[in-house]
Amino acid sequence: MTDWTKTSRRSVLRGAAALAGTAAFPAPFVHAQERVTLRYLSTAVNQSPAIAEKASEDLGIDIEYIAVNTDEVPRRVITQPNSFDLVDSEYFSLPNLVPSGNMKGMDASRIDRVGDLASVIANGTVDGEKVGWDGTAPHEVLYLEGQEATSFASEPTEWITLIPTTYNADTLGIRPDLIDREITSWASLLDPDFAGRASILNIPSIGIMDAAMALEARGDLTYGDKGNMTREEIDATIAALIEAKRAGQFRAFWSNFQESVNLMASGEVVIQSMWSPAVTAVRTQGVPCIYQPLQEGYRAWASGFGLPRTIEGRKEDAAYEFINWFLSGWAGAHLSKQGYYPAVLGTAKEFMEPYEWAYWYEGAAAEQDILAPDGRLLEEAGAVRDGGSYEERMGAVACWNAVMDENQHMVRKWNEFIAA
Amino acid sequence: MSARRPRSFYVLAFLFVLFLLFLYGPMISILVLSFQGPEGGLVFPMVGVSTHWFERLWAGGGQVEIGAALRRSFALALVVMVLTVTISVLAGLAFRRRFRGATVLLYVAIASLIVPSIVVSLGIALEFRLLDDAIKAVGAVAGIEWVQTGFVSALGPFTSGLGAHLTWTLPFGLLIMFAVFNRFDPAYEEAARDLGATPWQTFRHVTLPMIAPFLIGVAVFGFTLSWDELARSSQVMGAQNTLPMQLAAKTTTVTDPEIYALGTATTGGSVLLLLVAFTLISLMQPRRKRG
Amino acid sequence: MTDATDTNAGVRPVRASAGRRGSGRAGTALAPYLQAAPMALVFLVFFVLPLAATIVVSFWQYTQYSIEPAFTAQNYGDVFYGCLADLPRLCTTFLTYLSTLKFCLIVWVTTLTIGFTVAYFLAFHVHTLKIQVICFLLCTIPFWTSIVIRMISWIPLLGRNGLVNQTLVGMGVIDTPLEELLYSDFAVILALTHLYTLFMVVPIFNSLMRIDRSLIEAARDAGAGGPQTLLHVILPLARPGILIGSIFVVTVVMGDFLTIGIMGGQQIASVGKVIQTQMQFLQFPLAAANAVILLAAVLVGVWALLKLVDIRKEL
Repeated sequence: MTDWTKTSRRSVLRGAAALAGTAAFPAPFVHAQERVTLRYLSTAVNQSPAIAEKASEDLGIDIEYIAVNTDEVPRRVITQPNSFDLVDSEYFSLPNLVPSGNMKGMDASRIDRVGDLASVIANGTVDGEKVGWDGTAPHEVLYLEGQEATSFASEPTEWITLIPTTYNADTLGIRPDLIDREITSWASLLDPDFAGRASILNIPSIGIMDAAMALEARGDLTYGDKGNMTREEIDATIAALIEAKRAGQFRAFWSNFQESVNLMASGEVVIQSMWSPAVTAVRTQGVPCIYQPLQEGYRAWASGFGLPRTIEGRKEDAAYEFINWFLSGWAGAHLSKQGYYPAVLGTAKEFMEPYEWAYWYEGAAAEQDILAPDGRLLEEAGAVRDGGSYEERMGAVACWNAVMDENQHMVRKWNEFIAA
Repeated sequence: MSARRPRSFYVLAFLFVLFLLFLYGPMISILVLSFQGPEGGLVFPMVGVSTHWFERLWAGGGQVEIGAALRRSFALALVVMVLTVTISVLAGLAFRRRFRGATVLLYVAIASLIVPSIVVSLGIALEFRLLDDAIKAVGAVAGIEWVQTGFVSALGPFTSGLGAHLTWTLPFGLLIMFAVFNRFDPAYEEAARDLGATPWQTFRHVTLPMIAPFLIGVAVFGFTLSWDELARSSQVMGAQNTLPMQLAAKTTTVTDPEIYALGTATTGGSVLLLLVAFTLISLMQPRRKRG
Repeated sequence: MTDATDTNAGVRPVRASAGRRGSGRAGTALAPYLQAAPMALVFLVFFVLPLAATIVVSFWQYTQYSIEPAFTAQNYGDVFYGCLADLPRLCTTFLTYLSTLKFCLIVWVTTLTIGFTVAYFLAFHVHTLKIQVICFLLCTIPFWTSIVIRMISWIPLLGRNGLVNQTLVGMGVIDTPLEELLYSDFAVILALTHLYTLFMVVPIFNSLMRIDRSLIEAARDAGAGGPQTLLHVILPLARPGILIGSIFVVTVVMGDFLTIGIMGGQQIASVGKVIQTQMQFLQFPLAAANAVILLAAVLVGVWALLKLVDIRKEL
């Protein structure tokens, strides 16, 4: 709570400064008085109506969500950069977005808690231990050389590409009632025992990484960097996938949250890579589903706020104000209770009950029933979160969602796989 | 009417009913699943039976948040409908006579149906991006303050979006007009003209009443095609989503049957509207005849 | 309607004037151009120019985040990557087109069979316009539920534990659920037939309604049986409708990626899907090149069909 008042006092001060600064120009003065609406572009998963409501209440900033599909987010940023004021994009899109010149580096000095960002995002470590950096690890693309720069800085600078909103680690989700043995390795994804009942992600750059995890686990291939394969590695991976497809391994491919939940809940698929909240969603329908920790580790992803190059004036101030509010705890707690991890852990903790924090972050058994933010029952008392604590999960990340240098070749080979 | 029907009638009627069943198949699962229990999901099994999801939908604030997009889509579909009817009738009249470029226009209209929608959408988006740049350049040069401070993009549901939808609805409208005018007996118009009617009078009092019933068809086509359009809309609506786009984006995250409740409610609503319209028309008809 | 008013009102004073015949002809000559102008304008701005942009872009170069003006045939080369080198094995592009063509052909047969039957019923066995309209509306209502919602609902209908399988198992027709109902060629064909049969019904119905009933009676009087009348009188006369419906169905299926994607569990290739995947990775020029090739392929087919029927006369 103390944090929040601090933020609000700061923004008041900043607002006052803005007023003083612009008093000489009558027109902008009028603008500054109006309520600001921020057009917030992202996938629907990231757009919680509760967050918009709370932000409007706390800040007087209206959030207008523009919901699009995963692949549409970068396309909009590149082709219609003036159609939004704030984008919530995945870090792995950045190698495409930043060189396009449509993004604006965020001024680190205007982000209150820039020093408190989770270490896994800020420098790729958890508890001082380095996690897997295969793929587009967020810390590698977090900083820019300058505000208008179109290339990344290797060292921390004053200019930030994306401020994290949520991140998590994906692993295989399974239906324990339909699978009668222990699953311990990604290799099970390609296990003929599950022929016709397995699924992988249909976003080529991520699907191929799922396959790579499985192939490496099976001992077929070793990769230099699973998130940035060589042509030979891509060819070998796709060849293995084609073989599995011809043998009828896959029931279907999923490309979004809803599909992965429905494939699992309907029993069409019993094993597939899944997001933690998707597993939760299956379980709330009364269908048993496990987010299975595996010996090879997790495939992680992270998503964050970015600003379009065209933003300026009152809108830009409002965007910073909203981002600072977002990091101040309420939103972080809200997202944590859905199974995501927030950028700043400390502030989220303040907005959660101790038993909630213990369940979601410390791997402890729930002392009370665990409820979702909308009041639905997620887990009964006594349950332990799959995968355990934050450190156990994020510490075991093996690779990050990525766009490869050989992207073009990869897409061509993926189309070959689909056509096979 | 005819008292005896041939046996083939019953066979074909049966097949028609089967066809209807086939068409309504997905509707049936939507209908059934919209009464899922509060714990249930988007797929079978049913977890109890309830009107929970209708209540959620009615109360608002659930996962399916569509109010603005729904109104926008409805307004857009209405505009598309009116323009489709107007432009199609005009073009239909044009095609009754020879004019240069008729064949080209026809082929363009047909091509507009054929070209994959996603390509049309992308093309329009590229075009408007160039237009935006041009407008900004002009605004900067001419010093128009409004353009310099307030202009965001020419992309929008009622500019590029409207155009994209028209490229989809107009070919249908035109083809229907061909069908209409091919059966149209020009003798009536000649008679009117011989009686001294001006072309406008002829059109207004002879041609229009005769083709009016078919225009309803064009209107329904125009509305329905626009209302449900997804692929052509995808790149051209700017910051604002139409209903199908909003639903497509939302369904990627929505995992509860509220979305089915919405489907059931909209379909139920349109059927109700249709019944009311039909009743009204059949009530009015005898009167009109008498009058 | 305001445009109509203007157009014709512009002609009227001329007509009313003394030189009625001559200037009337001039007005008449101008009228079609004015009447066609709005449609031509819409297509010019929202179709021809964007398409031209697409064709131009198909010769451009691209990186992962930008497209750059150039003139290169590289994209076209990439579309046919490996097509010569891999022979006799078919390359991805040929395989994809082959798969799409296969669906075109099958769906054409199914929609034509069902569509003709339904149109025949509506045209010859339903006698009042009112009932015909009601029947058509009945066929249209399912399409008023958003396609997005309808697409999701196929899983609970056809899935492993879906309505159809449960019913069949419940009735004892089968012991184990049919896997092939969903995420298979069958599912794709079923969904496409579901979506597009109506496109076949309408033009065929239209053709059938134009058949002079006395011709059929004449055939009967001449001793032709039902099947003979159908084969030698009705079918030839329904040809234009069949062709027009076919053009609709074939072209829409060629460009489809949504239905094939969802019903095929994203495991079945289609040309539209390839274009979509390339756009997803911002390979616009490559997607544009693919689109141009698809367009050319479809136009050739349609051009051939249009040689068989004058769409303007026969509708």
